[in-house]
Amino acid sequence: MSPTPAVEATGLVKTYPGGRGRPPVRALDGLDLTVPAGTVHGLLGPNGAGKTTTTKVLTTLSTASSGTARVAGHDVSREADAVRRAIGYVSQGTGADPLLTPRENLVMAARLRGAGRSAASERAEELLGRMGLHDEAGRRTGTLSGGTRRKLDVALGLVDAPRVLFLDEPTTGLDPEARASMWQEIRALAADDEVTVLLTTHYLEEADRLADAVSIIDHGRVVATGSPAALKAEIGGASLEDVYLHHAGRAWDAEAIR
Amino acid sequence: MSAAPVSVSAPPAAAARAPWPVQAGLVARRWIVDGFRLPWGLGVSVIQPVVWIVLFGNVFKAVTQVPGFGHTSYLTFLVPGILMMTMLYSGAWAGTGFIDDIRSGVMDRLLSSPVSRSALVAGQLVQQLLLSLIQGVVLLLIGWAAGARYAGGPTGMAIALVASLLLAAAFCSVSAAVALTARDQTALIGISTLVVLPATFLSTALMPVALLPHWVQATARYNPLTWATELARTAMSPSIDGRVVLTRGLLLLALAAVTYAWSVAAMRNYQRSL
Repeated sequence: MSPTPAVEATGLVKTYPGGRGRPPVRALDGLDLTVPAGTVHGLLGPNGAGKTTTTKVLTTLSTASSGTARVAGHDVSREADAVRRAIGYVSQGTGADPLLTPRENLVMAARLRGAGRSAASERAEELLGRMGLHDEAGRRTGTLSGGTRRKLDVALGLVDAPRVLFLDEPTTGLDPEARASMWQEIRALAADDEVTVLLTTHYLEEADRLADAVSIIDHGRVVATGSPAALKAEIGGASLEDVYLHHAGRAWDAEAIR
Repeated sequence: MSAAPVSVSAPPAAAARAPWPVQAGLVARRWIVDGFRLPWGLGVSVIQPVVWIVLFGNVFKAVTQVPGFGHTSYLTFLVPGILMMTMLYSGAWAGTGFIDDIRSGVMDRLLSSPVSRSALVAGQLVQQLLLSLIQGVVLLLIGWAAGARYAGGPTGMAIALVASLLLAAAFCSVSAAVALTARDQTALIGISTLVVLPATFLSTALMPVALLPHWVQATARYNPLTWATELARTAMSPSIDGRVVLTRGLLLLALAAVTYAWSVAAMRNYQRSL
């Protein structure tokens, strides 16, 4: 495992124009984040806290207004292409074309990233097997269940063997069974493949179960970071809910805070 | 589920990224496959020009008797105009695919991967142009079956089709640029409708220039639809005017290049706005 952190962000600020005379929106307000390589790190926070914006900046999709970030050892703004080659990104939406089959989606993604025809099909079959998608591999993606499509999204994120995988709310909208199966997959990624996983979620249970460490984000800053156990011990709380309440100064209610 | 211990850390290939033409080809292929899986869209885009030929060809038949019309068959006069009009109408929809991708999340995945932005735009344009070519060929065949005659022969038809593709490239690029800027289906359709219909009537697509009111004549001269129509009309006529082909061809080429550059810039601006 390399000693260089997989993610190293310092003082990230991201402002969006407020529009029509309104003040600009400060989505990130001096966010610092360090994720050691090979770990699963959870970004926790209510909707609008800055989780997705953080992910977008770290995946080079979006550019920070100020601050610096390195992912897999490369600067996200100066070496965007090197970062893009080292990461996989599973956004909140779907990454798959609904009219193509899972197999076609995977082959195209692999070929776009430079794999030859046969290497790309081999890679697609590998990932279909790994995600348990063989039975659905030839059906149109748009007709598949939410859980199956989400697994395909993760497979698409893994197509180029990323060193860092970004998962933005990977289990939102999944039924308990599909969620459990996704958790198992995420754990396997970090344990067996040494992929660093940066996971955003507003399910505290998910972070508690999966993450080696979590960062609680509120109003565009990290208000607490550490392993779930250490964070709980620090405040003498029983759950991550207590930790959130302690640091954000209000109760955890992901749906109510918008 | 994870029965097979497949390593995700073994890269499939050492190549850093696919060469540009391969990327553009893959993107084009994706849109082509998508197109065939939505047979409705494909069917409509081929039937639409046929409907126009039949409707305009019949409703305006008597126009040949108007003094100063200067052509004996309205249909022969009309086909080049309908050809170019078709490019406008179907090109107007070209940007919708990008809006779908933005809404679904496919665009996020593509833009966070080492894929050339211009290949994303060019690949989709290639698919649009293929569709335009099919429409153009079908239209010429239907027109011929309905009674239009192309004195310019195969060469004339080929020149007309190239002109139609240049016009299509320009219009598809504008549609893509508007889509990537407005990011809204309703806005795209609204803007397209606002442009396409006046553009059709402020041109010589349906009526010879001599019969147009003065102010329309003045406007039509600057309308790319007029350039393309006149180019195709002379190419398919008994005596091809090389000067018209060259000048209008260069104008269309320049327009296509500028609008293509605009659509690539719009793709980059889209990412910058995230």
